[in-house]
Parts: sequence; structure tokens; C-alpha cells
Amino acid sequence: MRSRDLKMENYTLIITEKPDAAQRIASALDLQGKAMRREEKGVPYFVAKRDKDIIVVPAIGHLYTVAEERRGRSYYPVFSFKWVPRHVAERGAKQIRTWLEAISKLASNADTFIDACDYDIEGSIIGYCILKYACGNKENISKRMKYSTLTREELQKSFAELLPHLDFALIEAGRTRHEVDWLYGVNLTRALTIAAKNWSGKYATISTGRVQGPTLRFLVAREKAIRCFVPTPYWSIKAEVDIDGAVFEADSEKQIIEIKKEANAVVEACKGKDGKIEKIEVKKFQQMPPTPFDLGALQSEAYSLFGYTPLRTLNIAQRLYLDALISYPRTSSQKLPPAINYEEILRNLNKAPEYRKLTAELLAEKELKPNEGKKEDPAHPAIYPTGNLPERVLDESERRIWDLVVRRFMAVFGEPALRQSVKACININDFRFYLRGRQTLKEGWLHFYEPYVRAEEVVLPPITEGQSVKIRKIVLEDKFTKPPPRYNPGSLLKKMEEAEIGTKATRAGIIQTLYDRKYVRDERIVVTDLGFEVTELLKRHCPTVVSIKLTRDLEEKMNKIQLNSEKRENVLLSVVEILKPVVEELKIQEKVIGEQLSNAIKRAKLEERVIGTCPICNTGKLMTLYSRKTGKRFIGCTNYFKNACKTAFPLPQRGTVKPLGKNCRGCGWPIVQVRMKGRRPWTLCFNPQCPLKEERKRQNEMQSM
Amino acid sequence: MKCKVCSKEAVENGYCELHAKAYEIVAKKYERWRKALEISWKEYLSEIVKNPLTGEWAKEVAEYLIKSGEWENGKES
Repeated sequence: MRSRDLKMENYTLIITEKPDAAQRIASALDLQGKAMRREEKGVPYFVAKRDKDIIVVPAIGHLYTVAEERRGRSYYPVFSFKWVPRHVAERGAKQIRTWLEAISKLASNADTFIDACDYDIEGSIIGYCILKYACGNKENISKRMKYSTLTREELQKSFAELLPHLDFALIEAGRTRHEVDWLYGVNLTRALTIAAKNWSGKYATISTGRVQGPTLRFLVAREKAIRCFVPTPYWSIKAEVDIDGAVFEADSEKQIIEIKKEANAVVEACKGKDGKIEKIEVKKFQQMPPTPFDLGALQSEAYSLFGYTPLRTLNIAQRLYLDALISYPRTSSQKLPPAINYEEILRNLNKAPEYRKLTAELLAEKELKPNEGKKEDPAHPAIYPTGNLPERVLDESERRIWDLVVRRFMAVFGEPALRQSVKACININDFRFYLRGRQTLKEGWLHFYEPYVRAEEVVLPPITEGQSVKIRKIVLEDKFTKPPPRYNPGSLLKKMEEAEIGTKATRAGIIQTLYDRKYVRDERIVVTDLGFEVTELLKRHCPTVVSIKLTRDLEEKMNKIQLNSEKRENVLLSVVEILKPVVEELKIQEKVIGEQLSNAIKRAKLEERVIGTCPICNTGKLMTLYSRKTGKRFIGCTNYFKNACKTAFPLPQRGTVKPLGKNCRGCGWPIVQVRMKGRRPWTLCFNPQCPLKEERKRQNEMQSM
Repeated sequence: MKCKVCSKEAVENGYCELHAKAYEIVAKKYERWRKALEISWKEYLSEIVKNPLTGEWAKEVAEYLIKSGEWENGKES
């Protein structure tokens, strides 16, 4: 039904952040529980009937953004800005105009306004801008709905207990954050991009930002440590101990032996000797339940269990939230207040067969007390299941995240697990070895979180002090120290949290930007030449913008705005003071910077074309090359034009070819992925003699017989 | 002047900033290897070139040192 069919006046207009939330809120507030969906210029909105009619209209995320006052993209510095509708500032945001027109029209006949966007910085900004600009300065008369789940009960309660006004401190903090990030982004990105373009004549966006720069710096520091790493040899010795026919490994007292001669001497001295158990130490210890999930912890856990990137986890969690299956995910709280009604949630989850037994066990407890963490969030509790069961079939990733949240919720109410460790000291010819056992005596919370936690169990047979044991073998192990591990999206997110840079809502997106800009690649993050160059340039010419301390200080100041103890104007002024000399320096050095960046871009483009080491000559690299005669592309060895290696393979002439950075599981040759419009991407191995190809050929022949 | 290993500008001992850092570590670690295995500087360089845990830049420096015959201070040069 179109809006012209509806002659409504004097209604309440509720603004939400997303269409799904609008529908849920309207349905929860409608007396029949069934809101009517309508459209204005293709923009959906929902009508809820009760004593006074309500129209719930959604946004689609941010409808307004920060933009320069003077138009044009080819100049910097830029320090004057204003808030504008997104379609004014961004290409490809045309639909925003229609959306805003629809909201304005619906606002014109409303007499009461309620902001029901998510109760956080981003949500508050979205609601504020719509009320101020699209609804015509209604921000001061608008009321605020505050909720952490989209369940009917909580939405009704939130509507009944409306906050009398918007949270202006939160809005001010949000505005400042957007403006500060915009000032950093626009000035630094333009400086770098223009420098590269003026040098090479080619356009490529070289972005950096307030949080992006320091984050890339972490990665560069780690990459340097890995690339400069020289391993150190050391040795460790193990004794294979026979106890009642079962063999256990005991480690030598000195776990790291730095001199080979010394290690050999120990092995020689212990060879052929029996051992004697000198001492047995038994310790019992408690393993406390985990704390409830805040967003960062959920993202880390989902990465380590399922390999989901932080951004993917956030998107899945957001969908589960909009389906009213879990609470608001963008939270940094590790607290679960009793007001969420633990029992009610467990009783509802009890209806799901897979949780019946576990929830029944918890419900039988005298008291339910969660093991809370220290972190708090003024707006939302930790992530918890609402108790609602899915109304649609969840896809595999959604089911996994939902199950993880449910089981974590149950686990936090579990009792501590009781574990026992046994350490037996075995004397072999005056050299001490330690035999270690570990076992769970009482499962406690481990039982609720079972698929996601596995306690290591090494159960030793009964042993006594003074007992002689047979030594089957003494093993000398050659070892080397290892380089520091590469960051992955999960561990990088944790690092950002620890360093207090970025916010829970922005960190995952920043990591994704580093990939999109080709500053990093691969799941175990490798910094590209371009990433190195950008960081080195910024470090050299404007160290302040990649300073982790400065970024954290700024973050603190912005947090203070939220607490009314700092002013937006002061923060903006200090940012301009930081940026002004930086941008001036970048301008002076534009030529040098342009040359370095252009070379790095060239190298990065070349790097993208490299598929792997040539399996024929083993010195050149296989890469996409272009024939000088025909201009056609093919895979060839870099030694091809030097006449040193003639290795060449044909390539499809259409579509894109992307090196996968992996080798064929059949023959070990590097492989690529080919993408062509209208076809599913496929993996291509160039080896004509690849056993997998032969196998496939045989299978096809068999089928056609 | 260009770096002895790559085409970047040399800043220290004929190495660019990154290879200079790698050289420093390669040179520093030799003492540990010598004590551990009683091996010569050249044997050490060959060992770290072969080792898959050695970082790319450290390997490049070691390869350069083997090829050029440049030896650490105090030894043949």
C-alpha cells in the first residue's frame, strides 16, 4: 500500500537504524502484534496501531556524513567541513536522497518523535542527524528508546519507559569522532594520493587514517622482526619412561640446552640406565568459568574456532541481533545484570532439544551467578542469547555463532572446573626428568562449553616415590627458536583493543581496509611492499600520525566528551594543531614521497602478478606475462625474456587471474584462481602432467563409457 | 649509493635501513651459534641460509655475505 492511501496525522514517528529493527519495533508496539508495512517512494516504513498511531521508519545506516565546505578532491589541507546528506558527498549513494525525502514527508505530519536507533555512538549520530536535518530540528523535542535486545518484551518496556531526551553527550562524542577521523583521513590520504599521482600521472588511492596508520605500524613492526629473524639452535632431551607397560614422555629438568656438546653428554650419561621416582607433587587447582562475551572476545573466539574474520563475525552477530536471537553485539561489557532475567532466558532455551539437558541442570541450581569480567559498557550488557529460538533456518555460520553465544552464556553460570596436575621427578643417573600428568576431577563449566573447550588430559598410572622405572629410550631433539607469530585478523583485533586504538564498532572495518588497500595480504597477515612504504613514509615525514601514544591520547579525549569532561571544540582544535605541520611537511616533500609511493605501487602491482617459484628452473618466478607479438597473456617464467627458461603456459584471455599463494595438492605447482563473468571461479594448475588432472580424465572416461 | 642487497638507498655499512637491521642481527647471532655448534662464520651463514625459520632479509644478507666473501670484523675481510 502506498502512503497516499493513508491519511494519517498527529502520529508518533520512530526512527530506527535498519529496516529489520523497524519491523520488529513496530510489531512489538502494535496492539495486534502485526504492524502494517507501507512504502513511501520505495522506502519501507511500518504502522503500529495503538491508542495513538505510530509510524516506524528506518534509516539504512548513516544517511549523513562529514564533507568539505569547498568542493573538489584535488586539494589539501582541508580544515573546514560540514555535515551533509551522503548522496551529496559520495558517489553511488543516490538512493539516500529518496530515503531522506521519504523520512521528511513522514516527519511533516508527526507530532511526537522518538529516536530508536542502536544505543551507541553510531546509532546516536544516525538518529540525531535525521531528527535535526531530515525532520527539521526535532532533536531537542525527541525522546529516546533504549534497549539491548529486539525482543517484544524489552521493546515494549523500552517504549513504556522512554528516556526524556537524546543522549547529547554521546552524540557530541560521536560527532567529534567522525569529524576527527574525517580530518585525518581526508588530509593524509589526499596528500599521499596527490603526491603519487603527480609523480606517476596515474591515480591510485593511498589511504591512511587516525587508527589505520598505527594499526599498520603494528603489522610492519612484526613483519620486520620476522624478516630479520635468525633462529638460534638449542636442544632438549626426553626420556621414554615405561610404567607398567605404558610409555610416557618425561622432559629433562633443563628444558633448553644451548650447547650441543652438553646435550650429548647428558644423553650419553643416561643411556641404558634405569630411573627412580624421587618425588611426586600433586596439585589441585580450580579453572574459573569464562567471562561473558564482549564483541572483541566473541570475534577472537570465532576466529580461533571457525576461522571467521572479525568483520564476518560482527556481521553475523548483527543479523542474529536483528532476528532478536542475541543481544546488541557492539558492546565492550563483560557484565550480565540480573535484570536480563537469567532464568527466563534459560527456560526459553530449554525448549530447544540441543540445550534441554544443559539448561535443566542450570535451572536446578539454587542460585544463578555469572562469572563476570571487569569491562563495563554504559549502554549495553555483554552479549547474551535472548532465549528466542530461530524463526527461520539459520545458515551454518549463523548457527555456529548463535550456538557459541548460547553455550558461553550457560558456561558463565557453571561451577569452576576442578583439575589436578601431577609432577613426578625421575632421577636417571643423577639427571632429573619430569613426568607430567593432568586430569579433570570435576568438569564444572567445561561441561556447558564442551565443544569449544578441550582440557588436555594425561592420566598417569599409580606411581610411588622410590619406585624404579624402566627407561626405554633417551631422545635428543634438535630445535630452533621461532620467529614471532604473524598476526591474524583475530590477534590483530586483540592487539588494537589492548593498545586502546579504534572502537569496538570500527576495528574490524579498519582491518578490512588494510586488505582492501593491498597494504597487507593473507590470513596470517603479511605486509606488502606498499604497506611498508606507506608506513615508512609516514614514520619519516610525520611520525605523529602513526604514533600509537598520540592515537590513544586522542581516543581518551574523545571518550571524555562522552562523560561531559571534555569539549568537542578543544579536541578539534588540537587535531588541527597536530595535522597542520604534518600536512605542510608532506607538501614540501611531495616529490620524494610521490616517487617512493609510485615505485611501491609499481612493485605491488608486479607482486600481484607473481604466482610462485618456477617449478622448472627453480630460480625464476612464474607470473602473468604479455606476449610482445600478440599482446596475449600467458603464464611464464621471469627468466623467459632472458632466454634462460622457456617455461610458459596458456591462460584464458578473459576474466581475472588471481594467484592463490598455495600449491597444487596433486603436484605441488603454484595454482591460480580464474574468475569469469557468468561462471563460477575455478582453480587452475598449469602442470600438464598433474596427477589430479590424469585422475579427473580417467573419471570422465569412466563416466562416458 | 645503493644497498648491497637490494636497489634501495644505502644508509649504513652499505645496506639500506631494513637490510642493515638484518645484518646487525645476523652478525650478533653468530656468537650463539659458534658456542652452540663450534662452527665457523661461513658455516654459520650456510646454516642460516638453509634454515626455513630464517627471515627473508636475514637470508638475503647471509647469501650476499657468502657470495661476496665479506667476513665479519675481526676475521678475514
